[in-house]
Order: sequence, then C-alpha cells, then structure tokens
Amino acid sequence: MENLLIEFLSNTGFALADYRNIIMILVGIIILYLGVAKEYEPLLLVPIGFGILIGNIPVIKDFGLGIYESGSFLNYVYYGVTHDIYPPLIFLGIGALTDFSTMLARPVLMLLGAAAQIGIFTTFLGALAIGFPPNEAASIGIIGGADGPTAIFLTAMLAPRLIGPIAVAAYSYMALVPVIQPPIMRLLTTRKERLIKMEEPREVSKKEKIIFPIVGFLLCCFLAPAALPLLGMLFFGNLLKECVVVERLARTARTSLIDIVTILLGVTVGASTQADVFLTRQSIGIFALGAFSFAIATASGVIFAKIMNLFLRKKINPLVGAAGVSAVPNSARVVQMVGQAEDPTNFLLMHAMAPNISGVIGSAIAAAILWSFMSL
Amino acid sequence: MFGFEAIIAHDGLGISVIGISIVFVSLILLSFAVSRIHKLIGLWDKRSKYYNRSKKPQQKDQKTPSVLVPTLPQDVQRVSRQFKLLIEWMGEPFPLPKLLDLSGKCGLSHPHSTINEFIKCELIIPAENGYYILNKQVEEKILLLEEKRSSA
Repeated sequence: MENLLIEFLSNTGFALADYRNIIMILVGIIILYLGVAKEYEPLLLVPIGFGILIGNIPVIKDFGLGIYESGSFLNYVYYGVTHDIYPPLIFLGIGALTDFSTMLARPVLMLLGAAAQIGIFTTFLGALAIGFPPNEAASIGIIGGADGPTAIFLTAMLAPRLIGPIAVAAYSYMALVPVIQPPIMRLLTTRKERLIKMEEPREVSKKEKIIFPIVGFLLCCFLAPAALPLLGMLFFGNLLKECVVVERLARTARTSLIDIVTILLGVTVGASTQADVFLTRQSIGIFALGAFSFAIATASGVIFAKIMNLFLRKKINPLVGAAGVSAVPNSARVVQMVGQAEDPTNFLLMHAMAPNISGVIGSAIAAAILWSFMSL
Repeated sequence: MFGFEAIIAHDGLGISVIGISIVFVSLILLSFAVSRIHKLIGLWDKRSKYYNRSKKPQQKDQKTPSVLVPTLPQDVQRVSRQFKLLIEWMGEPFPLPKLLDLSGKCGLSHPHSTINEFIKCELIIPAENGYYILNKQVEEKILLLEEKRSSA
C-alpha cells in the first residue's frame, strides 16, 4: 500500500515538473491575463493561454496523454493543425464575416496590403542570415503577415516542428498590435500627415460584391495556385455572405464553424508548446524575428502610403498603410485610434479596412509563393 | 553558414525579390480588375438602352416616310418651317400654349389645326412635365420630301 502511494506520488505533476514547465505555465498565465484583463484578442489568447497550461502539465511518457503521443485526444485534435485543416476553415469564416466594400470602392488602397508583405521577405532574409535553413526561415518570415492561420498553414507544410513557437508568436503579435504599431506609425509620420482626411468611399453595388469573390479567386489562384486552400475558402466564404441566397450557410461559416475551429486551433496550438519542445534558443530567435517582421511590415505599409501620396491627387492618410498587415480588424482599429488621437473628427476605420483585407490576400499569396519556392 | 553568405547560398535575395514582385503584381492586377467591375456592370445594366437606341432609328426610318409624312397636308408641310423657327426662338422643351400664342401673333394661319397635325405626325412630341420638343428625324424627312417635290 505504501509502495502504491509512493508510485502515485512520483507520477503526479508535482514530482514530474521541472523549471521549464513552471516557466511555460507562467507564460500561459500571462497570455490569459492579456486576453481576459487587457482584452487583447481574447478569442485567440484565451484558448491559446489555456492550451499552454494544458500542454505543460507534466505527464508520464507513453501514457497516451501528451499532444505529441499518437492516439491521445490532443493528438487527434492536433491533426487539424498539422494537416492544414483548420487554417482554410478559419479563412472560410473570415470570408463570410468580411465586407469587402471599402476595398472595392477604392482599389488603389490594395497596394498598401502588398507593401506590408515586404516584412515577410525581409524577415526571411534575416532568418537565413542567423542560420535557419530556408524552409524554417520562410515559416518564420510569414509571422510578419500578422495572419495566424496563414503562419500555421505554411509552417505545417515547411517546418512542422516549429508550429508551436511560430503560431504562438504570430498570434501574440496579432494580439499586441495596439502596443507594437502606434509608436512606429507616429515615428514615420508628421502631424500634418496624420491629420489628412480621406474622402468618403463610393457606394458599392450588390452585383459588384457578388462578382468580386469569383473574379478575385480566379485571378489570385491562377497566379499563385498554392494559395488555393486559403484563398479558395476566403472567397467562397465571402460569396456565401454576399449572394444572400444561402444565408444559413453563411451564418454557420461566420458563427458556429469559425468558433469551433478557433477553439480547437487555439487549444491545440497552445498545448503544442510543451516546455521541452518550446523552450529552446530557436524559439527565442523566432520571437525576436517575429517582432522584427511585424515592425518592418508596419513601416513598409506607412512608407509606401507616403510614396503613393507623391503621385495621387486624392491624398491617403499614411497611417492607413499600417493596416496592410493582415491582423483583421485589429490593425484597422489601431489606425482609427491613432488617427482620432490627432483629430477626433477623422474617421479612418473604413479606409483602413481596405489595406487590411488586401493584406490577408497578400499574405496568403506570399505564403503560397514561399511554399512553391521551397518545394522546388 | 551565417550572414550574407547564407543568404547568397540559399538564393535568398532572388526568392525575396521575385516573391514580393509576385505579391505586388497579383494585387495590382486584382485592383485593376476590381476597378473595372463596376464599369462593366454599368454597361451591362444599360444594355437594353443601347440596344433600343440602335434599333429606334431603323424603325422610324421605315415608318416616317411611308406612314406619317404623306398624311401631312402640303400647306401644313410648307408652314412647318415657320413653326420650326418659332420653336428655335422659344428653345426646347416648350409649352404648347406659348407656341399657339406666338404663331397667332406672327399671323400664321390656323395655328390650332396645324399644331394638331404636327402632333399627329409626331413632328412635335411630348417631353417631360407637359412640355413638347421637335422630333428632328420626322423634321428631316419632311424637308427631304419637300425638296423632292420642288425638284419634281
């Protein structure tokens, strides 16, 4: 009986834990605090934060409990991450949620979404320079797209062992958009530029909204076929929303489906950060490069908007360029917040949504290009 | 391998330059396509208007000489030039009472019946808000017929 008790005690988390588990549990609690108390992207950070707690309870090896042990519940759910099932489904929901009108009203703003992708390729070079192999460098670079599902999609294809750190870095930086972006935006713009008021976008007809997802899908996927799973679902979701005749499907895609997938994705991504896999020097490098990537992406968008202003008759507020990173709609909200801090009567949110949405398309295309190049 | 050496060895510069170029080209093409969509929709919506516009002159070409113009009495045809001058002076669209009043003042004979003939043969057609305009096509046909008659 004594032996049984000793054996049980030796198998408890208290006995099996080491300092790395404690560090990761603290990280999980910090992420939960950011999500719950600070309300930074709570829909993402709460599942991820709790997932980190789940993944870092020390368990006996080969007991069928850990996320990396085949046959465990978490391992089954994690299948959707490693086999790229969840990211396209999230894109389906995003498509069904998003109104593309502002982008259709002023298509020139789409270029800002392209400019922000410079961050991805700059970070790719940075990751190569510090010694990451090309496939891992490409996965790290995509963090600059500020698009969690796209980062997971590409990493699952190119560097599955880095899914945990890359996904957590991508989602953390997405949540920290209100902290990271404003200083860069203020640094790169003058007060006069921040005060620019953009003219009201024209009204977009229903027909345009219905035709756009079909044209957009055909054009983008003919150019970058590897973007098919992500962009196919994004545009399909948007068609469901706009064509009106399948309202039930659109409602499911933008409510129940995206919620279920977000829960499964968030918890398993969090749980994949087991201390022994996550706490490595590489992870620190990934987080540092992710922050760099994000900053470059924001700066590229703002600078490109300023360059466009040299040629445009109707000036763009350069703050809008920062929304080119595809954290939808967080970075558009940040643009609105920074713009209103200068002039409370300046409403930039609807203008910022255009580069924000085109950033989603741009980062999916960038991921497809990197995937194609790495597979050659 | 580290630094610039690693970038060169893995063709990092080439991948980055081509990659960002493809992203830009894709979004430029998409924005171009998007900027055309509403114009194409506009053309499509107005297709019936364009179709009718191209059809109408043909129909009137067939109709005017054979049906309308011969029913216009010769004296009325002759006086139509004077009415045209009055209408040009008033400007289009014009109210019928004003045309009647002016034609009376100018001493044109039987203004009521003449104007009635014009309306019957569609030389004068209703415009918006109770005003009338001159039908240029019918007017041209009348002029042609008149020339033919005088040369004969």
